[in-house]
Amino acid sequence: MSEQPTAATAGGDTAGAIVAATDLRRRYGEGEAAVDALDGVTTAFERGGFAAIMGPSGSGKSTLMHLLAGLDRPTGGSVRLDGVELAGLDDGKLTQLRRDKLGFVFQFFNLLPVLTAEENIVLPLSIAGRKPDREWLEQLISIVGLGDRRDHRPAELSGGQQQRVAVARALVARPAVVFADEPTGNLDSRSSEEVLELLRRSVDEFGQTVVMVTHEAHAAAYADRLVVLRDGRVAHDGAAGDEGDVLELMKAVG
Amino acid sequence: MTAVALKGLAARKLRALSTILAVLLGVALVAGTYILTDTINRSFDDIFTTALEGTDVVVTPREVVSQEGSEPPPFSEALLARVERVPGVEKAEGGIFSLVRITDAKGEPLGQGFAPQFAVSAASAPFEALTYVEGRAPRTASEAALDESNAEQAGIAIGDRVGVVGEGPLKLFRVVGLNRLGDTSTGGSSTVTLTLPEAQRIAGKAGELDQIAIAAADGVSPDELERRVAAVLPPTVQAETGQQNAERLTDEIASDLGFLRTALLVFAGIALVVGGFQIFNTFSITVAQRVREFGLLRTLGASRGQVLRVVLLEALLIGLLGAALGLLAGFGFAAGINALFEASGIDLPNTGLVFETRTLIVSLALGIGVTLVAAVTPALRATRVSPMAALLAAALPERRRSGRVLLAVATLLGLGGLAMLLAGLFGGGSAGQAAGLMGAGSAAILFAASLLSPRLVRPLAAVAGWPLERLRGLTGRLARENAMRKPGRTAVTSAALMIGLALVVFVTVFAAGLNKSIASAIDTIFQNDITVQSTDGFSPIPSTIARDVAGVEGVGDVGSIRFSFAKVGDAAGQQRVAGVDPTTIGGVFDFEFVEGSDATLRELTPSAALVDDGYAESNGIAVGDTVALLTPTGERPRFEVIGTIDDQTDFLGSFVIDQAAMASDFGEERDTYVLVGVAPGADAAAVEQRVKRLVDDRYPSAEALDQEELKRSQEQQINGLLNLIYALLALAVVVSIFGIVNTLALSIHERTRELGMLRAVGMTRRQVRRMIRYEAVITALIGALLGTALGVLFAALISRPLADEGFELAYPVGTLLVILALAALAGVVAAIGPARRASRLDVLEALSYE
Ligand SMILES: Nc1ncnc2c1ncn2[C@@H]1O[C@H](COP(=O)(O)OP(=O)(O)OP(=O)(O)O)[C@@H](O)[C@H]1O
Ligand SMILES: [Mg+2]
Repeated sequence: MSEQPTAATAGGDTAGAIVAATDLRRRYGEGEAAVDALDGVTTAFERGGFAAIMGPSGSGKSTLMHLLAGLDRPTGGSVRLDGVELAGLDDGKLTQLRRDKLGFVFQFFNLLPVLTAEENIVLPLSIAGRKPDREWLEQLISIVGLGDRRDHRPAELSGGQQQRVAVARALVARPAVVFADEPTGNLDSRSSEEVLELLRRSVDEFGQTVVMVTHEAHAAAYADRLVVLRDGRVAHDGAAGDEGDVLELMKAVG
Repeated sequence: MTAVALKGLAARKLRALSTILAVLLGVALVAGTYILTDTINRSFDDIFTTALEGTDVVVTPREVVSQEGSEPPPFSEALLARVERVPGVEKAEGGIFSLVRITDAKGEPLGQGFAPQFAVSAASAPFEALTYVEGRAPRTASEAALDESNAEQAGIAIGDRVGVVGEGPLKLFRVVGLNRLGDTSTGGSSTVTLTLPEAQRIAGKAGELDQIAIAAADGVSPDELERRVAAVLPPTVQAETGQQNAERLTDEIASDLGFLRTALLVFAGIALVVGGFQIFNTFSITVAQRVREFGLLRTLGASRGQVLRVVLLEALLIGLLGAALGLLAGFGFAAGINALFEASGIDLPNTGLVFETRTLIVSLALGIGVTLVAAVTPALRATRVSPMAALLAAALPERRRSGRVLLAVATLLGLGGLAMLLAGLFGGGSAGQAAGLMGAGSAAILFAASLLSPRLVRPLAAVAGWPLERLRGLTGRLARENAMRKPGRTAVTSAALMIGLALVVFVTVFAAGLNKSIASAIDTIFQNDITVQSTDGFSPIPSTIARDVAGVEGVGDVGSIRFSFAKVGDAAGQQRVAGVDPTTIGGVFDFEFVEGSDATLRELTPSAALVDDGYAESNGIAVGDTVALLTPTGERPRFEVIGTIDDQTDFLGSFVIDQAAMASDFGEERDTYVLVGVAPGADAAAVEQRVKRLVDDRYPSAEALDQEELKRSQEQQINGLLNLIYALLALAVVVSIFGIVNTLALSIHERTRELGMLRAVGMTRRQVRRMIRYEAVITALIGALLGTALGVLFAALISRPLADEGFELAYPVGTLLVILALAALAGVVAAIGPARRASRLDVLEALSYE
């Protein structure tokens, strides 16, 4: 990996990373109307880190996350996830990879309304036909603070509770990486804090890797590292700092 | 607004298509039924008109008592001379027209068996309606002419030999001519033409005639002549003008066909009701999915009426398309059945398919009517969408009728239905009234069950889904949960299948009971070893068979049973009367006396009768009473009741009399069953072989069966009918499968984002397909379980009053399990399309789908 020439970004060094993108490109449409949602992104996320991705609307945050998670295919460049090159995988292999190595938290509609909170949490394991590790599951449920709500259905839970269930679901299979796309975008500040606190704890206590897309400086401050995108390119990559640092940085970049 | 409706349809092509199919199939059966029966009626009209072209007045026996499947008795030849003396009669000629069986030179029956075959007497000008294509009319007792199409099919040419079995053993004739009836064919029947005396002999009508054809002298009108001839006739014989006679015969055929028509229309009605369920469901779901669209229309100033019109216009278009295409399919259906008839040797005259205006009107009205009625509730719900809905994406207001009201309505409907069903069963009205009450009662119960079924969806889904969940874990679990998610929707979808399956199960259970009852009746009452009957199982056979069989070595007791009909007093309808020879019947048949004993049989003189116990009870007849019967020959003999019997499975009918009385008073001398016992000590197998050989050689219209074969032959008759009913019910089941496809496709559409999420967290395409397949299977099984329960209930209820006649209910568990398995399979088939579509969803698009 030493032939990696760019010195431009700290994250460009992909050695020892759990997920790495090299010169990643995603173009929508063709000809005149073509949009380069990603225009050559090289970055990497190391094991056990909590990274935030920020950037103005339309800068390519979601696109980058989808490509890293194998939900979409790049038009150029490559993604390596936990030692596996994604480019060569068919739909079945990608599905299996998502199931076994990734966890997801989305902004909306995260849970299956017909299943209870607990069933939603173990969903990735059920899909794989595996039994949950009882001890780990109990620990998770108590961490997310849903002990007395485990048999409730999503409709009976508040938005914050639902999102905490989603976080527990993302963690249950001990995935290589948890991807979260604006997980607090839809929550009030107290619920946001709870969810962010959870993600932080998963990194600190269990060595989980988390990559989170967010709009809020307050949320990004929970992360160790901050990647800022602009027009499909990496505009900044470095330590996240506190909320003030993030706001300042965004002003400088924006 | 019209443009909105049209665009709405176009945007949902697939949905529109399967909704159209729901209407199409039912309408096709309605239109096909009318076209087919109209065509058959027209054909027979042509045949009769042609046959009576040269005849001004015709004399025939009057039908005093209508006899199922039997011709009215002939009248004496002596009448001819009386008619000839009537002033104004130019010429009169006697004729014979009798059911026979035609065979080839080896005695093998020609034709397919169910097409009737007739022996007719050759007539002279101007009465002869047959024109000779080749050769000439028969002139001697050993000559015959054959109808051209029958001869062609059998490969028989002039100079070949044909056999005819009527009232007596097979006789061979030399073919001297080939003929046809005018330009038409004979409507599937085949005829052999014989000389008059030979036709009389073959038909067992020596000295008797079936009709007299009369030509009027110049200057005498047919009407005038008809009046003059009628004046000299006895009351049991009637005179009609040729035209009147042709019209009457056509009307008779039409009323016979009326039953077929009604039966087919009932099945079409079932398919339409099931289609209506599906239309209701589809519109309910689409309206729910278009809340925003309607809200937007309202925001833009559309009135409630306009929204209503958008939805109803869409329904109108679907109904119109469905009805129009159904009409076309109806033509195809009628043409197909026609082709089927031709393939089996019943070629209907090529008058072409008859398309009456009534067919057009009824088909369109039904197709459009059903669609509009089914769509009206969903359409009204669409009008309740407030303009705010567009902005808030609010859900549609829930159904206003509270659960309790619905429950009450369903309970009332169900109880009312049950009451009607019971009234039909035990009320003792006429057969038509009873059938009407029972039909309406069953329909009400089915509707009540449909209304209640949303409450049953949860428990039934739990039952049906349990094995899937056990075996397949998560996919089974999710399938079950998804099926229970909108209980109303699942209920309507499965209720459609329930209706079809309830009827399938009902006829299955009923037929199984019938088979079982007949088998056990044969075991208990048939004391004989071999039974000789017509190859069709019910027609009379020559009476010489009993005599011939009695002469076979090793044969012991031989008894025969013959049947006729009689009217009793002023009572409507006619009663079946059995004729036996009391000196021989006791050895081969067990009468199960209620009052009296086997000794009573010895008192069965020509003026005595045994009466069916149930009939006696409901008509207040007791032993020692005298009953007066009106017979087909117009006689009014009186019989003293000497005993009552328990007539199992209504085999004998209401009365049993002596065969001597049956011959003299009813004019019936042909047997229907000959019961043969093997003499003690004789080798049963060898005797059976000998009897079979005799019957095969000399009486091709009959067959000799041992007890097991007899049971099987009865079973075959019932199963044949059963298969026909299955085929007709299949239509309703197919419509309900389309319903599952539609509901599934719409539900999946609603769950797009959920599917995206499942795929994102690692569900494979295969698992997605499986999940949807199971949902369809569960929906189908809910319908199947409800349908089976109701079908069994109907069979149990309706067979109650038949228990007196020895009806034993049987539960064909194996068949019922097969039906359940087939229903599950139907679910699998219904899921193919929707499952494929769902598994191919693009994950990202699905996730961002609104
Ligand atoms: N399916 C698509 N087809 C065409 N263009 C797309 C598609 N998805 C995204 N884009 C375009 O790609 C660019 C990046 O989109 P992306 O969703 O990654 O932005 P984002 O940073 O996540 O924005 P936001 O903060 O609003 O979520 C945008 O210009 C967007 O319009
Ligand atoms: Mg985004």
